[in-house]
Amino acid sequence: MTEAERHAAFMARIERGEKIEASDWMPAEYRITLVKFMQMHALSEIMGALPEKEWVPRAPTLARKLSLMAKVQDEMGHGQLILRVAEDLAAPLGKTREDLVEELFTGVAKFHNVFHMPAPTWADCGIIGWLVDGAAVVSQAALLDSSYGPYARVLQRVCAEEGFHIQHGESICLALAEGTPAQRQMLQEALNRWWEALLLFFGPAETNSASATILLKYRFRTKTNEDLRQKFFTKYVPRIWSLGLTLPDPDFRWDEAQGRWIYTAPDWSKLKEIARNQGPLSQYRLGLRRMSYEQARWVREALLGKVVA
Amino acid sequence: MSEEKPLFNVYEVFVQKDHGSPHVWVGSVDAGSPDDALLMARENFLRRETAVSIWVVRQQDVHRTDYEDRDFFARESDKQYRMLSGYNKSNAEKWRKYKKSLLDLEKDFVKD
Amino acid sequence: MNEQILVELLYQLADDELVAGHRASEWLGLAPHFEEDIAFASIAQDEIGHATAFYRLLEELGQGKADDLAFLRPAAERRNAVLLERPNGAGTYLENPAFDWGFTVARALVYDLFDTVRLEVLTRSAYEPLAQLAAKIRREERYHLLHHTTWFKRLATGTDESRRRLQAGLERVWPEVGGLFALGFVPTGDIFPATITDLVDRWTAELSPLFDSVGLAWPSGQIMRPPVGLDGRRGQHASDLEELLATMSEVYRTAPGAAW
Repeated sequence: MTEAERHAAFMARIERGEKIEASDWMPAEYRITLVKFMQMHALSEIMGALPEKEWVPRAPTLARKLSLMAKVQDEMGHGQLILRVAEDLAAPLGKTREDLVEELFTGVAKFHNVFHMPAPTWADCGIIGWLVDGAAVVSQAALLDSSYGPYARVLQRVCAEEGFHIQHGESICLALAEGTPAQRQMLQEALNRWWEALLLFFGPAETNSASATILLKYRFRTKTNEDLRQKFFTKYVPRIWSLGLTLPDPDFRWDEAQGRWIYTAPDWSKLKEIARNQGPLSQYRLGLRRMSYEQARWVREALLGKVVA
Repeated sequence: MSEEKPLFNVYEVFVQKDHGSPHVWVGSVDAGSPDDALLMARENFLRRETAVSIWVVRQQDVHRTDYEDRDFFARESDKQYRMLSGYNKSNAEKWRKYKKSLLDLEKDFVKD
Repeated sequence: MNEQILVELLYQLADDELVAGHRASEWLGLAPHFEEDIAFASIAQDEIGHATAFYRLLEELGQGKADDLAFLRPAAERRNAVLLERPNGAGTYLENPAFDWGFTVARALVYDLFDTVRLEVLTRSAYEPLAQLAAKIRREERYHLLHHTTWFKRLATGTDESRRRLQAGLERVWPEVGGLFALGFVPTGDIFPATITDLVDRWTAELSPLFDSVGLAWPSGQIMRPPVGLDGRRGQHASDLEELLATMSEVYRTAPGAAW
């Protein structure tokens, strides 16, 4: 077969809805785009542990301390699961885990914009667990049908565990919503603070980026950013309102005629800053991650048991 | 000091949840040795499940069929002879016959 | 049964596990290897879980609500060993966490081995609820000990550097190890049927062969008994504990008694 024929046969497989496996022939473009996408997802889970772990030492009850620890542990676990899939696919490119992680520090690999944001109060923890994880579930559900088999399979496990995360987050938010005036206020302020980040989470409505086009072409991802954002609103806004909380967007409403939620667009240019790791806490969090990773190089070397002189 | 970067081995992890179940693949870990892999596997894969056994196997020791070689799995000739569905209908027809005659017999025996 | 002695003992147990688990939880997201981050987090959770169980026994004895006991008691009332309150390294978990894995492994091993020995004694306590709880907890400790022993061996035999760093960790740990074995206001008796010597001897009998097996010299100097310097079991603590407690109770104190 010529390269073109192979490519055509591969696209036919994709169009038939077949699953691609790690050892299958695939165009270089597919492999490279996929590795990048999964690398970003994995690194986002790993970086995503950082905002919440800030609150473990300060969690206000023993039960919350435990629950939050378990949730953060899960995020690291998801990072591990997805990273392993990325590693296996990247191996023929000569890339190892070390390479994939170091690209985070050089800025070649990005991590999700939502994890560049500050979490200054306990209530932020609740909002993250409930709504950020909620957004992640909406967006991950669209990946469950991904053409890449190993990724689709690992996401089933990830999505199952996210269910617990949302319950955990809801539990914190419900306690605050039903608590003292100060607790309610803390919750409302946290929501106000995170609202823009939640809009930005799904990315801009119209994206003509090369990689977004590729992702849809190869059925790696099957929904658009706006589809997902609307789905998120439908799922969570009624619940937010039911707690007596308000959105910091006075124009937010359901439009019956259009069959969609109308919202004030966030400042999309913030995504550019974040992509350059110039978001509010980008450098701080990368600093933590880099410091711990580099300081522990000697530990990883010891695990591989080089000879003691 | 060598500039070599640590290169972990990949271990595929199989978990047996109880003695009535077989080992099932759950994922893989980067580890320096089989013992480390077993130690990591417990928390990486069994936080919410109980189990009685974990196996770890180095990824390169797993031998596999080729997905593209679909003919490896081809079954064209009729294998009804070793399936339940190959017998259900024909056996059932015969049993109905015998069941009927058994009923008739009973009618003869149950006299008064 | 002398309830005062029982309460003292329970505070030692609860405070040890709370402080140990809290320090361990600072490593979340920062551990040297991703798979290990996940494994280590389970051990931290187990410790907080054990602390919770001990605080609940104290609650049953009328000492107050478990969360209040964990979050509100001042440093001078705490009964944890000082070794456990020491930071994981330079910096804090929020600012420049220059955490020391060699120290962490050394501390985790000596503490968990001590805890294993102590739990066995507790299974023979005259206070039945404590004996039963200890029996349960002992089974979880098996994995902890296996984990820490494995790491000890890996670092001791891995590379020259890892061996050096483990030794440095042991050197930092050793002067305060004695504080684990101190019994404070708990005399040997039917509530706690062992002496300090029993504990130290059993712990040494387990740990010394491990050092031999990897060719590490047993650190010189006797395990201090009673401890020289700060005796956590008598409420003597470093400023480290005050900082730890200030962080731990920061949110709780904004509304103690509120539901969180």
